[in-house]
Amino acid sequence: MKRRSFLQLSGMSLASSMLAGCRKGNEKLIPFLVPPEDGAIPGIANYYASTCRQCPAGCGVLVRVHEGRAQKVEGNPHHPVNQGKLCARGQAMLQELYHPDRIKQPLKRTGIRGSGQFIPISWDEALKQLAGALAPYQQKEQEGLLLFSAPLRGSLARLTGDFLQHFPKAQHLAWEPLSPEWLQQGLFGNPGIPDYDLGNTQYLLSFGADFLESHLSPVRYGHGFGHMRQERQTVRGRYSYIGPRLSLTAASADRWLPARPGTEWALAFGIIRRLLQEKSFDASALQAAGLSVTNVTELVANFNVQRVAEIADISPTEIRATINEAVSISPALALVGEMTAWQSNGSAAVAAVELLNLMLGNINRPGGLYFTPATDAHISSNYAELTGLIERMQQKKVQLALIYGCNPVFSIPSDSNFSAALANIPQIISFASFLDETSLQADLILPDHSNLESWGDIVPPAGTRQQVIGLIQPVVKPLHNTRAFPDVLLALAKGMGGNLAMQLPHESYLQWLEEDLIKRIPDLFIGDRRQQMDHLLQQGGWFGPELEPISPKALKRPERVVSPEFSGAQEQYPLQLQVYASVNFYDGRSSHLPWLQQLPDPMTTVVWGNWLEINPQTARKLGVNQGDLVEVSSPAGKLTLPAVLYPGLRPEVVACPIGQGHQGLGRYADRRGENPLKLIKETEASKQRLTWGGTRVQVRRLAASSGLVTAGHAEGSYHRDLLGL
Amino acid sequence: MTTRANRYDAVRMNREMLSSMSPPTWRWYLLAAVLGAVVAFGLYAFTVQVTTGMGVTGINRPVMWGIYIISFVFWVGLSHSGTMVSAILRLSKASWRRPILRGAEAMTVFSISVAGLFPLIHLGRNWIFYYLLPYPNQRGLWPNFRSPLLFDMVAINTYIIGSTIFLYIGLLPDLAVVRDCSSGWKKKIYAILAMGWRGSAEQWQVFSRGSTLLACLIIPVAVSVHSIVAWDFAVTLVPGWHSTIFAPYFVIGAITSGVAAVITLMIVIRKLFKLEEFLQPVHFDNMAKLLLAVCLLWSYFYFSEVFTTWYAHKPIEWEIFSFMSSRYGIMLLIMMLGNTIVPIIGLCFRQVRRSLPALLVITLLVNLAMFIERFLIVVPSLSHKNIPFIWGSYTPSWVELAIMVASFALFFLLYTLFAKFFPILAITDVREQEEVLLGSQQNGRTRLETLVKEE
Amino acid sequence: MNIETSEFHWGMVIDLDRCTGCGACVTACQAENNIPISEQDGIANGRNLHWIRIERYWEGEFPHVRARFLPMLCQHCDDAPCEPVCPVYASYHNPEGLNGQVYNRCVGTRYCANNCPYAVRVFNFFNPKWPKPLEQQLSPDVTVRSRGVMEKCSFCIQRIRRGKEQASLENRKLLDGEVMPACAQTCPPQAIIFGDLNDPDSRVSKLARSPRRFRLFEDLGTEPSVIYLKGGGHDHPG
Ligand SMILES: Nc1nc2c(c(=O)[nH]1)N[C@H]1C(S)=C(S)[C@@H](COP(=O)(O)OP(=O)(O)OC[C@H]3O[C@@H](n4cnc5c(=O)[nH]c(N)nc54)[C@H](O)[C@@H]3O)O[C@H]1N2
Ligand SMILES: Nc1nc2c(c(=O)[nH]1)N[C@H]1C(S)=C(S)[C@@H](COP(=O)(O)OP(=O)(O)OC[C@H]3O[C@@H](n4cnc5c(=O)[nH]c(N)nc54)[C@H](O)[C@@H]3O)O[C@H]1N2
Ligand code: SF4
Ligand code: SF4
Ligand code: SF4
Ligand code: SF4
Ligand code: SF4
Repeated sequence: MKRRSFLQLSGMSLASSMLAGCRKGNEKLIPFLVPPEDGAIPGIANYYASTCRQCPAGCGVLVRVHEGRAQKVEGNPHHPVNQGKLCARGQAMLQELYHPDRIKQPLKRTGIRGSGQFIPISWDEALKQLAGALAPYQQKEQEGLLLFSAPLRGSLARLTGDFLQHFPKAQHLAWEPLSPEWLQQGLFGNPGIPDYDLGNTQYLLSFGADFLESHLSPVRYGHGFGHMRQERQTVRGRYSYIGPRLSLTAASADRWLPARPGTEWALAFGIIRRLLQEKSFDASALQAAGLSVTNVTELVANFNVQRVAEIADISPTEIRATINEAVSISPALALVGEMTAWQSNGSAAVAAVELLNLMLGNINRPGGLYFTPATDAHISSNYAELTGLIERMQQKKVQLALIYGCNPVFSIPSDSNFSAALANIPQIISFASFLDETSLQADLILPDHSNLESWGDIVPPAGTRQQVIGLIQPVVKPLHNTRAFPDVLLALAKGMGGNLAMQLPHESYLQWLEEDLIKRIPDLFIGDRRQQMDHLLQQGGWFGPELEPISPKALKRPERVVSPEFSGAQEQYPLQLQVYASVNFYDGRSSHLPWLQQLPDPMTTVVWGNWLEINPQTARKLGVNQGDLVEVSSPAGKLTLPAVLYPGLRPEVVACPIGQGHQGLGRYADRRGENPLKLIKETEASKQRLTWGGTRVQVRRLAASSGLVTAGHAEGSYHRDLLGL
Repeated sequence: MTTRANRYDAVRMNREMLSSMSPPTWRWYLLAAVLGAVVAFGLYAFTVQVTTGMGVTGINRPVMWGIYIISFVFWVGLSHSGTMVSAILRLSKASWRRPILRGAEAMTVFSISVAGLFPLIHLGRNWIFYYLLPYPNQRGLWPNFRSPLLFDMVAINTYIIGSTIFLYIGLLPDLAVVRDCSSGWKKKIYAILAMGWRGSAEQWQVFSRGSTLLACLIIPVAVSVHSIVAWDFAVTLVPGWHSTIFAPYFVIGAITSGVAAVITLMIVIRKLFKLEEFLQPVHFDNMAKLLLAVCLLWSYFYFSEVFTTWYAHKPIEWEIFSFMSSRYGIMLLIMMLGNTIVPIIGLCFRQVRRSLPALLVITLLVNLAMFIERFLIVVPSLSHKNIPFIWGSYTPSWVELAIMVASFALFFLLYTLFAKFFPILAITDVREQEEVLLGSQQNGRTRLETLVKEE
Repeated sequence: MNIETSEFHWGMVIDLDRCTGCGACVTACQAENNIPISEQDGIANGRNLHWIRIERYWEGEFPHVRARFLPMLCQHCDDAPCEPVCPVYASYHNPEGLNGQVYNRCVGTRYCANNCPYAVRVFNFFNPKWPKPLEQQLSPDVTVRSRGVMEKCSFCIQRIRRGKEQASLENRKLLDGEVMPACAQTCPPQAIIFGDLNDPDSRVSKLARSPRRFRLFEDLGTEPSVIYLKGGGHDHPG
């Protein structure tokens, strides 16, 4: 953002505060249209509303700014997604802004790729190079241009789309590991993700959905969870979790059903069978979705308690109790998550749980889930498109790659050969803020602003029943000589001239954003547009009226679920590896923030590293003690990790969080721990969908001590009794 | 004993007993240099700590106290040797005490001074140690008189002052002797130090009354100092520390270590100054019996502490015992051997009580065990305190060990210097004894109602 | 030590049935209170400086395993054992029921930390370091502590002050819920509730009367101002 753009707007009066009538107050909510150094009064803090981008959930934040410095990020209490709450990653976004290892100006590679040798260049030069590289692709037939980004939504999706229109053969791949495409391709195929009304349900069943840590919108669900448990006067919602690992989310459950990996769905069938038996299912919803009772009955006919218990390897008593609860407590809500979806049978398993919700009569009712129409532009790609791209890259069909807002070298299993394929691309241009695995391969880096220096909007992908457009506004002046990615696109358009310049004549992304918002937000038509805009910025976005829920149509008939497949021979690789998104680092994008590195992992209390979780019984057999260094090998590779004895894990399963093991990404993340995605063995099936839960491994003890540091005392962690708790 | 009468010659005796003050030999210099080097290294370690932070120690959460406090408690305990033993012996008029009085008293002064250094070394911000002093300041801020650390400071200072006066008063007649035997600037200094001692009857009378009075006063001070140190622990809520028995238990521990140290000292002095005639097996026998008694007492206290804990079986307290015996099992064993098993069994035998090598071994063992005991009081309790989640343990760092070793070196260095510049044997006392042995009651120029015959 | 000269008595309720152990409060507190970054070695050596921690306790063996979380911060004991042992009044009781810590006075005896049964006091073993420009985040409302001094949760006293100032500027009483410590503010399931225990109608007072209430180490007589609500299987909220 240029100062000029601020000044354009600085004629505006200081907007009134949200805290009504406190003129001499301590703090004010002001839009950043008034630059801090002019609008700020020394010694008095201001709050700016913005939106968190540490994960796609899009929680609203208020940033406390004191004399031009961002001091504290707080949840925006008026934001419908997070209602004033934030997760640890959201809290830590300040450290991204002030990170000592940010890329401070455009860089041009001088050494070999990956060597990390760059020289600083000017923006003019960088833009000239970029424009030069792009120019050929404006021709009709010119193939080979790739934009690789995280899924984009809202204004940025539209701007990128408009920009790429001028490059006829360009491919835009928008993918990130935790993007819920598997959910969108489930039974209903509604592109929007339903809003799960956790807060008002009485019985919650999670099928491998770690909704309190990484699944879709953890803060929103966390808030709902608190409400479900203790906010209502007379009821306390009960909650069961089924999945092979006692995750942070599972730890809060009243009952944990440690199912074999990839067998959680059997419980869904068991419940559906009982619903059918008792005729207590929602027949009208079934009909509305276009499904027949006979079909479903056939499908689940065999799934009595015994069968479910056998498939999942859980005691029949527990299964029976869970089924009883699920059919007798109403409303009962089922969530399905990555642990289930990431298996080879994931797509059918997800559909099974969605069918369960349908049968429970959960559609569009309190304590259930609401389907709302997809409301906004959004660009995202699925795993099959990704594997397709890798093939094209291997065939040297990509000549120029622009990489924005993602780190695919880190977050795609090495077995898929993405890195090798990347090396085939003659020119890689990155918009990264840090020298991570991917930007280290780039030839040119045009560093993006940090979130707290940017303009933008966010349409929460998982979410709310009302329409929400969260706004991102800069809260401080850019620290370094960086530029926002969309501003770079606009500058390019201007520089490249022609049609492109004509269609994208905007001075800045702010201007684009405003014009775009005007098209999308009805409120902006009422009254003084400027004032309205200020108001939205103060508020943190546009929170529209509640949308009319829609009845979902089933895209396909629910199908049989087969057993999950695992790569690697059982004899050689006796254990099953489950990778999961880290509570602290999400998919690894936050590992560079020291607050999060220092934050003990909630379940293992490990700090500054990662680990392999082994059930104590298994560990005993392997002769492994807490903290021992072990070697984990799979058909795809080998890693050396410290062992953590983890009682909440099936004995034949080992688990490892994704997020550490960076080669780059600044001093705090670099060469810390290992990336378990290196162990994932791809199969033919996994080219079609992400199946990261389907690899077998072998574990071998290497040495006694490995420098594992836990915040909690290993032995003391078993002495709750001493607290009199 | 009659032969001794022939040898009695006050002047010769003076000279003999002042022999330790003769100009130093190279050996003395070597010893002083080695001790000085160790002290200097300790100082270096301390400098490192002050300039970088307490982080260079092994201190952590939950073990916020370590070697410094352990050393502090140990040295305070040791300091009971001298003044208290000497005072008790003085009051009980055991005449064989004479040759060791001075050495024992000096031991007290130096060990309590060394002890006093540790709380200062231990502070996170040593440079503002004076916040603990109740000095008038513009902020009108006073220290917290409820804090045992403040009692400590008062008690330690009182003890340092008291025992120094005690030592000094006892020194007066001897300083006069030294003054009379020296010349030049030395004479001037000793003249000042002797404070005009002339040995008049009146002076002797005051001296005698004063010594007895001081001896009476110093005993409660010594007892209170160690009780107060015990309160540092006993007033807390730390499981294992929170115990009513701590005050007497600590005092007994201190006396144990003190008595053992006095016996060690007796052996050393006897050897160095060839005092075989004064310090006879029977004296060692007596002291050993005393040691046996305090060891029995100490063991009683220790085991009643353990048994009460076992009987009550408060989970957290029992946890600390279990942790101590597993993690510090060997240390616990040495402590048991050194404070209970070896002295109690060994000292039952007359031959052992009268064998100097055996006594030397036992007394050194007792003090080693006592140091370990201090460690086992401080560390295990803190390691496994109430909150299991943050349990930990403690290993001292090189800085702490260097400072601890330096404290021993400093003690010996001070002692060596003292022996060089002051009469380490109480000249007048010993002469008095000679005179007793000669049947003479003459003391100075006056006749005093004095001494009980030996045995 | 119930010598109250103030209308407020700050207290906190932590509902263990809501707490999911997510750790957001830990980072929020670190951000709010200028808590230095502790490196791996530091934490390995017991020098973590967090003012609030989430204790995780395991129970049972597979498959009957449970993990329980216990957020632990200074309990602001009314009869705080850390206070009488401090020789310089650096650890003191304020009229509003807070256990205050005066960094300037602390000489670093670490006695208070030994005597705190909740082990929430942390010591600055070294001077804090923030590689530039990370230090720009530091809040001017909170002192940066030098080495050699003790610190711990302050119940976000700066926020209490700010709230009271605001109320007095507006010439009104402080509202219930107006002052929110950073940890309570961010906690997604709202497990932490803060407020005035002197006001019987405040949310915190009401919750503190819940049948699920308990305080840690009640037998030690420390009279904590932090009240926990039992988690798991208690069907009726307070
Ligand atoms: N650079 C700069 N210099 C200034 C000023 C300025 O604003 N900037 N202001 C000036 C003014 S107006 C003033 S009043 C002076 C203030 O100057 P000082 O009087 O030096 O005040 P402080 O810097 O606040 O330092 C107070 C010191 O007191 C110590 N302290 C706390 N409790 C106790 C205690 O019980 N006993 C003792 N002995 N010490 C204690 C603290 O550790 C701290 O080091 O500085 C003047 N000089
Ligand atoms: N946290 C914390 N707070 C403190 C202290 C502390 O140590 N810590 N110290 C306290 C102490 S000791 C003091 S003295 C106060 C100081 O607090 P203040 O008295 O607020 O001192 P200054 O910040 O120096 O502000 C003086 C103002 O006077 C203006 N000025 C300068 N010359 C003149 C003049 O000739 N005429 C007029 N009209 N104005 C002029 C300056 O521009 C400045 O705005 O702070 C107190 N507050
Ligand atoms: S859930 Fe995602 S968007 Fe919300 S605060 Fe956490 S990281 Fe930010
Ligand atoms: S933020 Fe709330 S839910 Fe999360 S750990 Fe802290 S108290 Fe528990
Ligand atoms: S919890 Fe510890 S630090 Fe806090 S008031 Fe109580 S004793 Fe003091
Ligand atoms: S460490 Fe500081 S606050 Fe604690 S007792 Fe010592 S001086 Fe007081
Ligand atoms: S009340 Fe404030 S200082 Fe205390 S733990 Fe919470 S955020 Fe930290």
